[in-house]
Amino acid sequence: MAKQGLTATSAFLHWKPVANSNLTVDARETLTMASFAAAKGKKDELNAAVRAAYGVDLPKTPSRVEGQQGVAFVWAGPEQWLAVAERKDGRDLETEFKKTFGPLASVVDQSDGRVVVRISGPRAREVLAKGIPLDLHETAFRPGSAAITHASHIGVILWQIDDKPTYEVALFRSYVDSFAHWLLDSAAEYGVAHA
Amino acid sequence: MRIACPYCGERSLDEFLYSGDATVKRPDFASPTATEEFVSYVYERTNPPGMHRELWYHAAGCHAWLVVTRGVATHQITSVEAAREVALKEKSATKDTK
Repeated sequence: MAKQGLTATSAFLHWKPVANSNLTVDARETLTMASFAAAKGKKDELNAAVRAAYGVDLPKTPSRVEGQQGVAFVWAGPEQWLAVAERKDGRDLETEFKKTFGPLASVVDQSDGRVVVRISGPRAREVLAKGIPLDLHETAFRPGSAAITHASHIGVILWQIDDKPTYEVALFRSYVDSFAHWLLDSAAEYGVAHA
Repeated sequence: MRIACPYCGERSLDEFLYSGDATVKRPDFASPTATEEFVSYVYERTNPPGMHRELWYHAAGCHAWLVVTRGVATHQITSVEAAREVALKEKSATKDTK
């Protein structure tokens, strides 16, 4: 009998990578992600546990901090965060956090549910600004800034990495094709061909 | 119209959902007049012009519930508070008087 089972499939099957002097768009497919929220009355203890394990304080405002051990923490609502790290050597943030934080936090795996797209280059700001209702000007949104909002009506968590500028957008996996459709339309005037 | 979310900053109306009157209090279901009180709680609104205290939900943002004081004729917003903080304040005020 033929072997039955599920095969891991890329969320970016219909994508062609974008790379020109104006813009590069990359799918970040090798991430492990977990969202977590402080247990009732435990936010200070949780922060101390994060500081002990990763050397940073959890962001209290919409922003992103890079901790030790390759983990970045993105503010994802009051007393809630999204953590992102490279998935290498079978690393799994959900398991890691449940072990490290114990009863201080509720941890939920996001590695399969969400994907991260990296948008970088001199025109990245203009391309995103066409669908994101936020002021992305460098005086208002900087490296380290983060926001929960929508991009062309698709719910996203957005953060800025550097001032090239490079942005990353975390969105639900099943919205990737719609997001790409909008993004490539938005980038058409900067020499990006629609897939 | 823009609402200044206490967590996210000023955001456009399309990120929020209106979620009703923030001044009504859920009645005690064990009260002998519970039916009348619930009818009033759910349905009866006088809808006066001027300032209203309203619940708004930051659906496309941080998912926080907010208490917004808004002029329904002008859309002027005079205060935005996290509903959680409002509830905690009321709770501690009731505790103090008991």
